[in-house]
Amino acid sequence: MRTARLYLRLLGAHFRALLEYEADFLILALATVLMQVVNLVFLAALFARVPVLNGWTFWSMVLMFGTVTLAEGVGSLFFEGMWNLAWQINRGELDYFLVRPYPVALQSSSAAVGINGLSNIVVGGLMIGTGLAHVDVVWTPWRVALGVLLLISSVVIKLSISLATNAASFWLSSPTPLFAFAMHQVGDLARFPLSIYPMALKAVLGVALPFAFISFFPVAYLLDTGQSRWVGLLTPLVAAYCAGTAAFIFKRGLRRYESAGN
Amino acid sequence: MPIVEARALTKVFRRPDKGPGLAGSVKHLFARRFQDKVAVDHIDLSIEAGEAVAYVGPNGAGKSTTVKLLSGILVPTEGEVRIDGLHPQRDRMTVAHRIGVLFGQRTQLWWDLPVRESLAVLRDLYGVDHATYRKRLARFDEVLELGEILPVIGRKLSLGQRMRADLAAALIHGPRVVYLDEPTIGLDLAVKDRVREFFRSIRDEGTTVMLTSHDLADIEGFCRRLVIIDEGRIIFDGDLEAVKDRFARERILHVETARPVPLETLRASLPGAQVTVEESEVRYAVRFDRFIMTAGQAVTALAGLTDLVDFRVDEPSIEDVIRRVYSGELVLDETGPRR
Repeated sequence: MRTARLYLRLLGAHFRALLEYEADFLILALATVLMQVVNLVFLAALFARVPVLNGWTFWSMVLMFGTVTLAEGVGSLFFEGMWNLAWQINRGELDYFLVRPYPVALQSSSAAVGINGLSNIVVGGLMIGTGLAHVDVVWTPWRVALGVLLLISSVVIKLSISLATNAASFWLSSPTPLFAFAMHQVGDLARFPLSIYPMALKAVLGVALPFAFISFFPVAYLLDTGQSRWVGLLTPLVAAYCAGTAAFIFKRGLRRYESAGN
Repeated sequence: MPIVEARALTKVFRRPDKGPGLAGSVKHLFARRFQDKVAVDHIDLSIEAGEAVAYVGPNGAGKSTTVKLLSGILVPTEGEVRIDGLHPQRDRMTVAHRIGVLFGQRTQLWWDLPVRESLAVLRDLYGVDHATYRKRLARFDEVLELGEILPVIGRKLSLGQRMRADLAAALIHGPRVVYLDEPTIGLDLAVKDRVREFFRSIRDEGTTVMLTSHDLADIEGFCRRLVIIDEGRIIFDGDLEAVKDRFARERILHVETARPVPLETLRASLPGAQVTVEESEVRYAVRFDRFIMTAGQAVTALAGLTDLVDFRVDEPSIEDVIRRVYSGELVLDETGPRR
């Protein structure tokens, strides 16, 4: 609890600074909304030709896109600093982080605020909302609770993959997170139903970098679509596994940290 | 029990061995070669609570690396560090409350926040209660004149202001051990004086201080113990005054006489001293060992020969001594860890 409160305190320090640059704020927010609109137009055009993609309707796809967008939004708004890790390592900026009584990974991830995350959260939320309104699911309290748990797990998976891939910077001494960014691009494939991909890609997105658990598996379970729906129920376990692995990789990386010469 | 203890502390950096230019970098992609650089080489060091230790050495000797090892920022390649008996990595959170670190070349203040806000964030991170926080700020203000810079935004601070704010930031949680790495670098004299006075005040309160500096004026009158490091090894660890007695015995008497005096005459009257002519033929320099002759004796001897117009005695600073140690002119044999 104290950790969370201090996290917001650290984040707030950067948020205040951000408000000093209002124009940036508005442009970024607008650009993000536009990008999501383009995504939706693309989806609509696709589904105008093929009404159903491997058993998935337009609205269930909107739901999947929405989940990914929301998870990315939370990542940008609250944990953008992770993407600065490569730079922080390269410049020796972890020195002071390491002598403060607060987790280093959280000091790093709170070192920036991605305001575009705000529009992603709003747009993602709207997509999930409209998506849900157009699919027929019988909402029992149990199902609602499960839905919330799955959504939280999605976000945790997304954040963990970002942290783990960015922590690769401890080994690759580049000042930019190229590896993490490439992996992030791979993750974009998981916006579509996993079932349309060949086996090798399924293995990558389902197991190696479990991006498919951010949206495909949990949504498939909730909507009762496709084969092996039960896999979606594993999402919270996958989230716990991802978080643990990311923390482990980060800790190992930290041991390799060499600071920078004075 | 010593508050800081290092045993056989070693840090080896692995540096890519690349040829020059782009060609060298590309080649390195395929044939990876590395070179080991030993930055710190089996250092033994133990510091008692309340001690003020000067840690000096030439550029690249391993001073900053040692500080980073002793504060747990770097993981040693070999050997170990204990802070108050604790392992700096395993007990990182506890150790963090007990140590304060200042790197003169790098700030820990938030770039876009006023100093006051930066300090308040640190207060919350360390869990310092508001009353204690206010008391400490007031005390820092006395010596560092912090009040005037509290509302200034991090990026707008001058170097001197930044250093004062960073000192407050490093000490806001009342650490028991403070590492100050080049804390006066680039400061003007007035600020240096103020900062040095601040060091004395924290030392007098019983805080253990380890200070690395190029400016030996930081050290004189502040630290009693001197540790000299060169090429990653400790080449001297002992009492600062003892070093001065041992290696700073030479005095130089500069005299100006009314008339030129033959050198032989001067030399004959000052056995055991070296006499040389300086810029004009009525100015002489007399070098002598203060344990063989006092400055008074030298002046009396000269006054017996001729009329003295002016004279002045120079004593070497610790700076000269250490400079001579660096350059290999003096070999200190008093090595070995001191208890």
